Amino acid sequence: MFEQILIRMPFGDIVHYLSGYTVVLFAFAAMFVILAIISLPEKPIDIVFGTDGYYTKDVPVDLMKFQRFMAIACGIATIGAITTGDIFNFTLFAAFIGVLNIGIVAAVKNKQVLNAAFSYGLVVMMATVPLFAGAAIIAATCGTLSIWELAVAAEATAGISVPIVAKLLLLVGVLGEGMAPFYIGKAEITRAPGAPYILMIHVSSLLLFLRVVEILLTV
Amino acid sequence: MITIEMPLVYQIGIAIAFIAIIIAFSAILREKDDIHKLIIIDLIEITGLVVVALIATDLAEALILPGLVVGVAEIMAVSELWLAKEKLQQKHSAKKFDIEVMKTAPPIIGLLLAAYGIFLTGFSGGLIAALGLMIFFLGKNMGEHFAKIENAAGYAWALWVIAFFIFMLFPSQWFLAIMLAAVGIMLKVMAKMSLVGTMRGGE
Repeated sequence: MFEQILIRMPFGDIVHYLSGYTVVLFAFAAMFVILAIISLPEKPIDIVFGTDGYYTKDVPVDLMKFQRFMAIACGIATIGAITTGDIFNFTLFAAFIGVLNIGIVAAVKNKQVLNAAFSYGLVVMMATVPLFAGAAIIAATCGTLSIWELAVAAEATAGISVPIVAKLLLLVGVLGEGMAPFYIGKAEITRAPGAPYILMIHVSSLLLFLRVVEILLTV
Repeated sequence: MITIEMPLVYQIGIAIAFIAIIIAFSAILREKDDIHKLIIIDLIEITGLVVVALIATDLAEALILPGLVVGVAEIMAVSELWLAKEKLQQKHSAKKFDIEVMKTAPPIIGLLLAAYGIFLTGFSGGLIAALGLMIFFLGKNMGEHFAKIENAAGYAWALWVIAFFIFMLFPSQWFLAIMLAAVGIMLKVMAKMSLVGTMRGGE
């Protein structure tokens, strides 16, 4: 994966980079940030069952502002997770995405939605344990967290420098942080007011998974 | 650089930490009450930080501080969520305890911590001084000192900017610049953290 590096920005031993793979992820995340900035949430329509009646749900302005802010922040954190060249920064961005996803979901003051958001919050908090533990074990065994250095070492030693347990912990951590779509399905929040911003949760967790696969294959 | 031989202590430590993590995770499986789950998960995060701390280098400190901050941010977000979920969010200001020790002890403890923090300077000094101020404000339950704290934060910014200019223009005076920056960040951290103490119950 390191053969097709397009942009490379070294800051000491931390090298931010965009490869042919991550530049696509970057464009996707940037597009959704712009969409979150310019789009307005529609009013969802509920049809009264068995009759001709229907009513629209209004989206209060403060809820919209809060969700939009959270969605934009989440998109920017996703861009950060994609472009960073440091495993520790990546774990921080992943944890950040988790907190922001809680914020997007929890803005909707509905009992079921809040319940789902609370369970998701617990999972996010638990997921930080394997996330940081994975980063710490990589730092302890390899002496560096720079993906660039780790990739160079992995090439030199035929890919055995990073312990497999650290890779697994990192993967489990990202799985926990990116679990949000599961809880969204649980609360049927896609029909809640402000739903367009909920899309950012799906986008961020999808891109997080794609990026962690790239990292685990590189180091 | 890569594959440094890790001492036996690290392996023993990490085994113990993982046992603690397994115990904590089995506790969360048994727990049914929401608020207890939250507390146990905070315990789980602490055990995770133990794994980070086991690296026992400067890098560990650089990892622990953000880890701690992320943990605090998450527990604040989720506990706020729990309050909203259980409809327990405070509508009125906090009830004032009328206990004698809450009036006399906080100034003394606060003064001691603030003095020690000023002696330490820098980030850790700011934290300790902020702890002192937080205890002071939490004990007093007052809100009118906001302006003074914000003043202090403003001076801290000015000190920072001056320190950076000295670094850029007169690199030979680096010691003065470091001292200015250290005092500046101490004031900044102290101001930010002590706001947590004054924010209690306020809207």
